[in-house]
Amino acid sequence: MVIKGKLREYLNNCYQCAMCSGICQMGRIQKYTPSRIIQLIIEGFEDRIVESGMLWDCLTCNSCLEKCPHEVNFAEIVRDARNKMLDAGIMPKIAHKGFYTLLSEIMSKENITPEKTFEWVPSGCKISEEGNILYFVGCAPLFNYEFDESMNNAVDTLKILCKIENEPIVLLKDEKCCGHDLLWQGKIEAFKKLAIHNIKAFERSGASLIVTSCAEGYRTLKIDYPSMFENFNVEVKHLVEYLYEKLKENKIKFKKEKKNTKILKLTYHDPCRLSRFLPKSFNIYEKIRYIFKELEKVGYVYNEMVHNKSNSLCCGVSCWLNCTDKAKALRYHRMLEAKDVADNLITTCPKCEIHFRCLQNDTETVQDINVIDLSNLLENVIEVIPSKQNK
Amino acid sequence: MKIVEKSSKKQDMEFKPNIVCFCCNWCSYAGADLAGVSRFQYPASIRIIRVMCSGRVEPAFILKSFKDNIDGVLVTGCHIGDCHYISGNEFTKDRFERLTIILKFLGLEDRFRLEWISASEGKKFAELITTFTNQIKKLGPLNNI
Ligand code: SF4
Ligand code: SF4
Ligand code: FES
Repeated sequence: MVIKGKLREYLNNCYQCAMCSGICQMGRIQKYTPSRIIQLIIEGFEDRIVESGMLWDCLTCNSCLEKCPHEVNFAEIVRDARNKMLDAGIMPKIAHKGFYTLLSEIMSKENITPEKTFEWVPSGCKISEEGNILYFVGCAPLFNYEFDESMNNAVDTLKILCKIENEPIVLLKDEKCCGHDLLWQGKIEAFKKLAIHNIKAFERSGASLIVTSCAEGYRTLKIDYPSMFENFNVEVKHLVEYLYEKLKENKIKFKKEKKNTKILKLTYHDPCRLSRFLPKSFNIYEKIRYIFKELEKVGYVYNEMVHNKSNSLCCGVSCWLNCTDKAKALRYHRMLEAKDVADNLITTCPKCEIHFRCLQNDTETVQDINVIDLSNLLENVIEVIPSKQNK
Repeated sequence: MKIVEKSSKKQDMEFKPNIVCFCCNWCSYAGADLAGVSRFQYPASIRIIRVMCSGRVEPAFILKSFKDNIDGVLVTGCHIGDCHYISGNEFTKDRFERLTIILKFLGLEDRFRLEWISASEGKKFAELITTFTNQIKKLGPLNNI
């Protein structure tokens, strides 16, 4: 028996109502029934489930938790089981030949200290090694290896931060991967090593606020680090939250673009890590929509997709697992939805962005929609309100 | 009689690096073969993995080696223009240039090298292995830098 403790309790909570199997995103493209898996585990066929490797297929999208009447956190059960599956030698198929996972795993070795270079930092941005506000860049510089546009997100976020803050922004030289992918692939030991390194680095910098523009990084720093390490209590904010607060405090506003001849139609894809993976109290859905409401005032049009907020569809891949034609089918569906209502698909997760762009390379029907990160959109329209005007 | 403790002898055992060397079937492997046939001396620190073309070597292979604590990785192929599959090695060159940026970031760039070796360059192969092994020896083992 491998599943114990809290997870076992989850299992025992299950009513077998099969709501989860109805909503399951994986179930749209192949036979996948979480309720059935849970039942088999309860009945004692745990080993068979582990051996069959079917848990590698779960997208860990948390749609099932959203609908479950008794809060059975299936994704967490999967995460734990994956750890056991690795021990048993049942390996997943990792996309990109496991390149990015291997990178994280190498980084997790204590004797490897990465040296980030900052030649991408836009001129005019003041950065330092110590200070109050830290920007957690994450894997973007590494994605540059294959995805040419991956740095845009980091560059624009840094531009935004520099514009708003007067003090220099902290960038860590020896920042490691946040470990999100390893955690959800079940490589918990390696994840912990990465986390310990990062937490130490955060402490050394003396930062009191960490801002990140990555949905996965945010969820990991905000929820998973504190849940595993007691002494990590630095405030973490996603760019969305950060901008929302600044808007509310009247520190920034959006300006009208002068040469805006064509009205931009926007829609927003809620990444799972920045929606269903956060407690309801974070109110993240409303925060991001508030930003779009403000944008509407300056001449943008915002339309909601059919599936939105907690219902939003998955981009098809999480933590680099199983990028197959099935995953692409999910993605295709999502992009068609977006195409129906807008010509700009905004997201806040660099991975979602990469996945959508990738599909555009080989599917013509979705090529005419522009996939961009929130920071790319906002970089040009943010205007700082001088503080005197406030009084 | 002087009593020598066994364990003390063990301590000054020299560090023997583990090096993986990918050789393409048509040139470099033949080069390595020639080095052997002509009895050029080179350290026994390498393990050769034969691939059909250097274009077969995924950057992920290199990372996998480092993850498993291999101290150094060599990739060898035919000279540019000589590839048995016309342009496999050009592709290799491009992709490893990209990988080098990442290895630099991890501080591992000195532990990796890409070289072109033709079937007649047995001597060059032996020399490459010798210099690379010495370089890795200087750097020390990967798992406790
Ligand atoms: S929705 Fe929840 S309670 Fe219902 S079958 Fe699924 S896990 Fe069990
Ligand atoms: S996390 Fe998503 S893919 Fe996995 S069982 Fe739940 S709904 Fe299905
Ligand atoms: S066959 Fe030697 S490099 Fe292609």
